[in-house]
Amino acid sequence: MATLYSTHCRSYSPLTQSSSSSSYSSYCSSSSSSSKLGHVAVSSSAPKRFLAAKLSVLSQSQNVARMQDGAVATAVTPIENDYPFKKLKGGLLSVPSTDECKDAVGFDINENESTVSITVVGASGDLAKKKIFPALFALYYEGCLPKHFTVYGYARSKMTDAELRTMVSQTLTCRIDKRENCGEKMEQFLERCFYHSGQYDSQENFAELDKKLKEHEGGKVSNRLFYLSVPPNVFIDAVRCASLSASAGNGWTRVIVEKPFGRDSESSAALTKGLKQYLDEDQIFRIDHYLGKELVENLSVLRFSNLIFEPLWSRQYIRNVQFIFSEDFGTEGRGGYFDNYGIIRDIMQNHLLQILALFAMETPVTLDAEDIRNEKVKVLRSMRPLELENMVIGQYKSHTKGGVTYPAYTDDKTVPKDSLTPTFAAAALFIDNARWDGVPFLMKAGKALHNKKAEIRVQFRHVPGNLYNRNIGTDLDRATNELVIRVQPDEAIYLKINNKVPGLGMKLDRSNLNLHYAARYSKEIPDAYERLLLDAIEGERRLFIRSDELDAAWSLFTPVLKELEEKRIIPEYYPYGSRGPVGAHYLAARYKVRWGDVSVEQ
Amino acid sequence: MAIRLSACSSSSATFIAPSSFCHETETILKRKNFGIWVCQNNSNFHENKRFELKASNVQPLKAVSLQAGAPANSLATERVVNPVQEHYIPFLETVKEESTLSIVVVGASGDLARRKIFPALFALFNEDRLPENFTIFGYARSIMTDEELRNMISKTLTCRVDKRENCNEKMDAFLKRCFYQSGQYSSEEHFLELNNKLKGKEAGRLSNRLFYLAIPPNMFVDVARCAKHRASSENGWTRVIVEKPFGRDTESSRELTRGLKQYLSEDQIFRIDHHLGEELVENLLVLRFSNLVFQPLWSRNYIRNVQLIFSEDFGTEGRGRYFDNYGIIRDIMQNHLLQILALFAMDTPVSLDAEDIRNEKVKVLRSVKPVQLEDVVIGQYKGDCDGNTSYPSYTDDMTVSNNSLTPTFAAATLFINNAQWDGVPFLMIAGKALHSKRTEIRVQFRHVPGNLYNHKSGTDLDNATNELVIRIQPDEAIYLKINNKVPGLGMRLDRSELNLLYKARYPREISDAYERLLIDAIEGERRLFIRSDELDAAWQVLTPLLKELEEKKVAPELYTYGSGGPVGVHYLAAQHNIRWGDFGYED
Repeated sequence: MATLYSTHCRSYSPLTQSSSSSSYSSYCSSSSSSSKLGHVAVSSSAPKRFLAAKLSVLSQSQNVARMQDGAVATAVTPIENDYPFKKLKGGLLSVPSTDECKDAVGFDINENESTVSITVVGASGDLAKKKIFPALFALYYEGCLPKHFTVYGYARSKMTDAELRTMVSQTLTCRIDKRENCGEKMEQFLERCFYHSGQYDSQENFAELDKKLKEHEGGKVSNRLFYLSVPPNVFIDAVRCASLSASAGNGWTRVIVEKPFGRDSESSAALTKGLKQYLDEDQIFRIDHYLGKELVENLSVLRFSNLIFEPLWSRQYIRNVQFIFSEDFGTEGRGGYFDNYGIIRDIMQNHLLQILALFAMETPVTLDAEDIRNEKVKVLRSMRPLELENMVIGQYKSHTKGGVTYPAYTDDKTVPKDSLTPTFAAAALFIDNARWDGVPFLMKAGKALHNKKAEIRVQFRHVPGNLYNRNIGTDLDRATNELVIRVQPDEAIYLKINNKVPGLGMKLDRSNLNLHYAARYSKEIPDAYERLLLDAIEGERRLFIRSDELDAAWSLFTPVLKELEEKRIIPEYYPYGSRGPVGAHYLAARYKVRWGDVSVEQ
Repeated sequence: MAIRLSACSSSSATFIAPSSFCHETETILKRKNFGIWVCQNNSNFHENKRFELKASNVQPLKAVSLQAGAPANSLATERVVNPVQEHYIPFLETVKEESTLSIVVVGASGDLARRKIFPALFALFNEDRLPENFTIFGYARSIMTDEELRNMISKTLTCRVDKRENCNEKMDAFLKRCFYQSGQYSSEEHFLELNNKLKGKEAGRLSNRLFYLAIPPNMFVDVARCAKHRASSENGWTRVIVEKPFGRDTESSRELTRGLKQYLSEDQIFRIDHHLGEELVENLLVLRFSNLVFQPLWSRNYIRNVQLIFSEDFGTEGRGRYFDNYGIIRDIMQNHLLQILALFAMDTPVSLDAEDIRNEKVKVLRSVKPVQLEDVVIGQYKGDCDGNTSYPSYTDDMTVSNNSLTPTFAAATLFINNAQWDGVPFLMIAGKALHSKRTEIRVQFRHVPGNLYNHKSGTDLDNATNELVIRIQPDEAIYLKINNKVPGLGMRLDRSELNLLYKARYPREISDAYERLLIDAIEGERRLFIRSDELDAAWQVLTPLLKELEEKKVAPELYTYGSGGPVGVHYLAAQHNIRWGDFGYED
């Protein structure tokens, strides 16, 4: 047992090495049809090794941990088997000190043995520059990345490593509370960044990349993460090339893809099918960066670790739930992509629906990714497909205020003049299950509105037989309790309650039981991308969207999206910077709901 | 109606006009009980009219005549459902000239009067809450002139921060309304003199009289007798405010009540518990009954225990004579904490009417199991030396006997034997000379069943339960402790607070409890005063225990001045698997 433990911990043990290298060799020599099998073996064994290493580091002297190691060692077989993996992840979560990413010291012990290569495909793009590289740097700064890591930019443009570094360095920043050594750290990080230019559909180019990666890996165990920051039409090509020519020899290979995942059920299914030709489900990490937001993460904690919310969380006490997303800017000359998708696909079908699923799901068996995603799928499948009558769409028009003229959506050069693409949408959704039957879930998403905001509002029912009704006035809706989870800006949770205005009279007031993050937690809240990248590196799939989830989400929206397009429904126009089309209020009124974000007190 | 009219006209000639006026309004407003008395009793302070269904100015005449005549139980007649609306004020303004209010502070030279009553009266005056025609009379045994009384009072009057302008002017105007009459508390003759003076000030108008008995309880009945016989109002109401102690146990309390009731009817007696006038105690009912989110939680299904905490950071400081005779259980628990418990645990009342609320409170109090000796820990503070300061022990107090066993600290677990609260321990803690001054209600909720995050909470699951805290003082606040995730890449749970700090939201100074209670007594709002049957029920909870403590001469556990109290508390709490929220892990 001891030998098994030590060899396993330090590096690939002879046992595991032989088993996986044999599978690898079979993969190498076999045709592409069997390549998938090889992939499965590699990808499923690798995270186990990873986790086991961590566990053993954290509790080296404990027999229990060794036992776990033993279990791992035996579990590393080229068979796809989810169960021990899950169990292990449960184990991982239960280790108290794995909480902060400092537990990534787990990497240190095999510092000589394993490497992570992160290849940003589409490195010259906007997303890569603005989000991915900065997030990687933040992780590096926090010590969350493994000791041996390499970042590769991959794109079509010709660039040297130095040019990439210059480009990247422009967007890197240090957190306010981490100013010291910032320049130094940045230098170190940039030294790990390289560039390789190539076509997205060229296996040859990817083979060159593979060679370079191998050099950096220096014969150590190689884990490879591909971040596809490219348009969706090249997803499959890039995946094919990466999988066939540049996947890890003996570690895991994972691919992060970002929306759009298709335009409707069919195209999404086609994309999934395409990806699955080359990748296994657990190699695909579909990012929805909203799920990486702090307060979305917190939603499950709030729900499941507080008794006081538990009895309230159903149709019995909740009158309606609102998911609100607004941006205070339009497409601003970059409407080319957006015009093809529209706000429903861009925001509702993914971000808001995901939050809804987390909000409404039943208690999962464990906090394990698969268990949580199982519950989310159940909610999504219990939902009634959206109907046209439960939907309001809008498009912003030009508006002049104080001498400044704001452009209409169709003024955008990249948008066709007669575009009917909605830049605003509101929808009423219903979950037909025992918990939520009849409770309207309202969604609202829009661009070029008066503020920038993302929040969840839970409006509770009226107090039955309220003794204080006469003090509240005629608008009883104003007097109901409301729980607001503000995702951005200024993360906060507050519960609106009625209380008495201090003084000799008896005047009721709605005040907030408030938790303002900025006031309580001085630390900067990490960007969603940081969390998601770290999760992908660690193989934590909780915040990524599984294929069946995606499928269920699309089937809710596809009928109405088709109908909108077939009938060429004209969006209601609203001025740039306004609160959006008034139709949203009528939609809400039909379900006896009032939008919480535009009520009097705001 | 005939009776009313006769009452109306019998009072004085000046009432003829208002009476016909009243009659008119009655027909206009189609109100049933809108009698003459309504008009008389009204004045500009009703601008700030409260919401309650029943208010003083809509009392039926029947009650008035009873008050003026023989005392009788008019509980039944109290139930009037006549909400007062703002739009009546214009009518009422016209007759405000006609009624007067005389407030007689009996025991005017005492500490309570100087520190609390006069300042509260002034604050009400400053906020224009007193009727136009009011007079304040100090009454005590010492010989004093009006001028001397004014001098004495003026030292304790202060203006609120937000009402600074014209403060001195206002103060002078107020002091001009203050007079003094010296006399014995048991002398009907002296009260007659007072009556004459009062009549002089009232100048024949309708007179309402409020007696505030700021005197030791053994003189309550005497004063009630004298006031009743010689100085009660002939045509308005007469009300008497008494403050604790209301007896030492069930028997003496009943005795006192019987004594008072010889001369006063139930609705003339206003038993003050000044803690009920505190802002957050008032707010407790609003929180409970106007917020849906608390409603499903408010029972044994979700509440693990409730803690009612009252602590003072000072001892008797040379004024232990009164205290030594009563002890902390009678002084704090039997009234303040038990009252808060009743408000906390009562069922939803039929309405916010005083009688309905008090009915529910009585029900709760009668369901409370009498406290057993084993459910109690008592303590007494001992001296402590901290650097150069030395703190005295309780028995160092000159006014306390050296071998006193009087508890200065008590903790007790109470149980309410009803469907809503069966098995939920209500922990009360009250003590002097502790490390902090605070009054709060802490509601600890149960553990989350099958909590997915248990392994994140560490071994002490108690730390991870939700808790609702209503802090009454200092720094009024309501907060709800919840678990949330510490922002960051890991998954660490934290207990944070959904917080409402009054100071932050309501920068205005919160009015003193006495102000509220005085204005309520003036307006005849009885919600915050203790009814006789309530008092009786409260005594029955604690009397057996008090007797046993005294009979067995149970020695209190000594604790250091300025400490967290005797450690016995923790063992008491542990019996019911509770941790004191107060002296536990926090602060």
